[in-house]
Amino acid sequence: MPYHEFEVSKCIPERKMHAVVKGPGEDLTHALPKGYLNTIPGTISERGCAYCGAKHVIGTPMKDVIHLSHGPVGCTYDTWQTKRYISDNNNFQLKYTFASDVKEKHIVFGAEKLLKQNILEAFDAFPDIKRMTIYQTCATALIGDDIAAIAEEVMTERPEVDIFVCNSPGFGGPSQSGGHHKINIAWLNQKVGTVEPEITSDYVINYVGEYNIQGDQEVMLDYFKRMGIQVLSTFTGNGTYDALRGMHRAHLNVLECARSAEYICDELRARYGIPRLDIDGFGHKALGDSLRKIGLFFGIEDRAEAIIAEETARWKPELDWYRERLQGKRVCLWPGGSKLWHWAHAIQEEMGVKVVSVYTKFGHQGDMEKGVSRCGEGALAIDDPNELEGQEALLTLKPDVIFTGKRPGEVAKKMRVPYLNAHAYHNGPYKGFEGWVRFARDIYNAVYSPMHQLSAIDISKDDYATDKGFVTRRMLSDANLSDEAKASPITGYTGPFDPIPGLRGKSYPAFERRVATEAAE
Amino acid sequence: MNCEVKAKDRIGTINPIFTCQPAGAQYASIGVKDCIGIVHGGQGCVMFVRLLISQHLKESFEIASSSVHEDGAVFGALDRVETAVDVLLSRYPHVKVVPIITTCSTEVIGDDVDGLITKLEEGLLAEKFADREVHLLPIHTPSFVGSMVSGYDVAVRDFVKKFARKGEPNGKINLITGWVNPGDVKELKHLLKEMDIEATVLFEIESFDSPLMPDGKAVSHGSTTVEDLQSTGSAIHTFALNRYEGAKAAQFLEKKLKVPSTIGPTPIGIRNTDALLRKLSAVTGKPIPESLVRERGIALDAIADVAHMFLADKKVAIYGNPDLVIGLAEFCLDLEMRPKLLLLGDDNSGYVDDPRIKALQDNVDYPMEIVTNADFWDLEDRVKNKGLELDLILGHSKGRFVSIDYNIPMVRVGFPTYDRAGIFRNPVVGYAGATWLAEQMANALFNDMEVKKNKEWLLNVW
Repeated sequence: MPYHEFEVSKCIPERKMHAVVKGPGEDLTHALPKGYLNTIPGTISERGCAYCGAKHVIGTPMKDVIHLSHGPVGCTYDTWQTKRYISDNNNFQLKYTFASDVKEKHIVFGAEKLLKQNILEAFDAFPDIKRMTIYQTCATALIGDDIAAIAEEVMTERPEVDIFVCNSPGFGGPSQSGGHHKINIAWLNQKVGTVEPEITSDYVINYVGEYNIQGDQEVMLDYFKRMGIQVLSTFTGNGTYDALRGMHRAHLNVLECARSAEYICDELRARYGIPRLDIDGFGHKALGDSLRKIGLFFGIEDRAEAIIAEETARWKPELDWYRERLQGKRVCLWPGGSKLWHWAHAIQEEMGVKVVSVYTKFGHQGDMEKGVSRCGEGALAIDDPNELEGQEALLTLKPDVIFTGKRPGEVAKKMRVPYLNAHAYHNGPYKGFEGWVRFARDIYNAVYSPMHQLSAIDISKDDYATDKGFVTRRMLSDANLSDEAKASPITGYTGPFDPIPGLRGKSYPAFERRVATEAAE
Repeated sequence: MNCEVKAKDRIGTINPIFTCQPAGAQYASIGVKDCIGIVHGGQGCVMFVRLLISQHLKESFEIASSSVHEDGAVFGALDRVETAVDVLLSRYPHVKVVPIITTCSTEVIGDDVDGLITKLEEGLLAEKFADREVHLLPIHTPSFVGSMVSGYDVAVRDFVKKFARKGEPNGKINLITGWVNPGDVKELKHLLKEMDIEATVLFEIESFDSPLMPDGKAVSHGSTTVEDLQSTGSAIHTFALNRYEGAKAAQFLEKKLKVPSTIGPTPIGIRNTDALLRKLSAVTGKPIPESLVRERGIALDAIADVAHMFLADKKVAIYGNPDLVIGLAEFCLDLEMRPKLLLLGDDNSGYVDDPRIKALQDNVDYPMEIVTNADFWDLEDRVKNKGLELDLILGHSKGRFVSIDYNIPMVRVGFPTYDRAGIFRNPVVGYAGATWLAEQMANALFNDMEVKKNKEWLLNVW
């Protein structure tokens, strides 16, 4: 029987269809949990809302924009400073958030006047910023404020500014995923095609579904630039508003997080004929294959191969050092939407760990298809997990480490399972050849923490040798390794605390244009 | 007058200091034992508040959502609450108290939560959970009214209102802590113990500083029980330490159940702690013991080392929960410092009538601003564009970039303080809190002197 029934969920039988265990010889036709259905109230689900899916996940990483939420102050406050989407403009989008501060009188009499004054105030406070995104919230959706009309009014009065309106109230859909969809389509409908970008390369892409968590986007852009590819825009991490208005001129959409951003790629294909290429910045093999695919598309495979060779030579030995020491470590891979399939196969193949469970909070069945197919036998896959099911799974699966969000990480900590932040990372970036080693390093540091070992000991009862003044990670991780492995001159990751500043301001080789005149047209 | 109280002169909010009412109700609810609240609204209203509180306490805890989706927003979502109560009770057999906390969306659509609770009490609870002790209560916290501070105040009142009963006088006092940290609760309980006073502490969150145990079974939870709440009606006196976070409950107990009450003082600093102990002594007849005279002396000894040499005349901006901000400002003045700007982050019209604020206005001999309905732009704009010079910022983590970008040292205090380790573990109240605050401020200034090479040699001899 593929479906897995949790003891704690026997009283809500419909939950049974939301978890499966992949049995011997089984594939997707045997085992696929339901996904993206309405949440069962009161389960203590970990899902967020459609407002946060639009504003917090996709909208706010756009870096040169005033992000104004039209509603009471809480939506804005709560989704502010809880992510790590950095930018190369001094993190404006992380530091500043704007709320129209809707009060009771506005609920009764309407908040459009309030909104307009808010817009003007915000632009006046930051005279260098000329772009704005306005996010609807539950309250202003219900009172029916016409945000688009107000935005138009301001744009007419102040022709130098441009405003994007995203109508995605919190209740719009079962999870944050509803908001991803809405903002994708809204951006396409309102803004794509309103700026004509300058084309400077024969190879032009949009980099889509990438949010520059701890600098991921900047790592990937480095590879693209080394290949002579012009990245017209990034949707949305470290991306600029006006660059994203010119998305329609790319030759290829390179899509990273398909869960949150496939919608805009599919529509760009339908409306502008731009093909979609799904790639993966996580894992040496997946990343190498991704660069090869892009190279193949443009006929510049040699440039991809050169990067892969250089980066692999530099970082693979360090990755392998961790792989040897993480063999068979049991992992619960419990992220939000897409990392279950981005990571499942790659961490098993390249870090030697065993994924014993995957879950997705807001993924759809398609994410589960990919996730389950990339897991091994016996893996437990859970859709829309809740607090008690998570605890039951941790007790039965006894993982060595869990990759999940901050608050569920606290639950795991108490149950003596070390946690890594799957959304914001511990010490990322995790994308890129180097980033992948940083991820392995963080896993190793978590699993072999001497403090973690100590926390298992009951000082009043257990018999344990207190003859040592300290224990190092290496003493723990190398205990059962061969003498040859123990003698390795490598000691783990050798990169800096933050590799991103080194990428900013880096210069790149100029590649000769193939057909200069054609490109100029 | 040197000290002006004025509202923010803009209509919108740039970087809010507070979140909205339901967050305050949720913070209060986790202080109750065997209680899991259901927030009636979109899922983000819970998910992000749990994240926020867990960032602050570095702990997890449970709060449920009614998960209102589009159909509920259009047709009414009471059925979602019905299901939520059923599912929650079925899966959490220990749960006795379920507050239904409303949000902006469900207040706008007008869901009759009070009526539903009566229906559930007569139906679901009587039928399916007849052998269980279960209490449902509505807490109305529309996000477009007040702030997280008033949400906390409303929730505390509603919990007390739901449970308090007049019984035989039990000789105890009620201590309503207000929005504090586990470290504060510990210090308050310590003071009461030294005074030999029995108290019901509401809402008791000390055990949110919980251990990591070898069996992996430790959980963080509030410690205020249903019995504690019921007994509040039989207490000899209520002390609500904070005027804006708990006074409503104290007033309810006084009015309806004739339990006399004292609002304040927020025991921040030596003087306010003295005042609290004196009042406790007056009400209970218990003398202030030698042990507390000694603790007070230890605090004064520590403060004497830093106050007039280092802290005197330092210019400070303070923001956060109003009672905290006022208490800190009062303590700073006792430390010879100069609070220049106090930011109170909501539009409560009562602030101007607060006697503590009036006292500041009457006695401060240098220019000081108090801004209500304030946001962080009220701080940053003054620093960046209007020449406000500061030596120190006191406030919570959401204002961290003002400190970082303008090189102003900052002591983390209040809620939330996720960007420094262990802040929640330390008190700001009581004599121990006074010591901690003074030393944190001094150390922040010392560190700043060294980073900026500004008389960093001064500390060669101290």
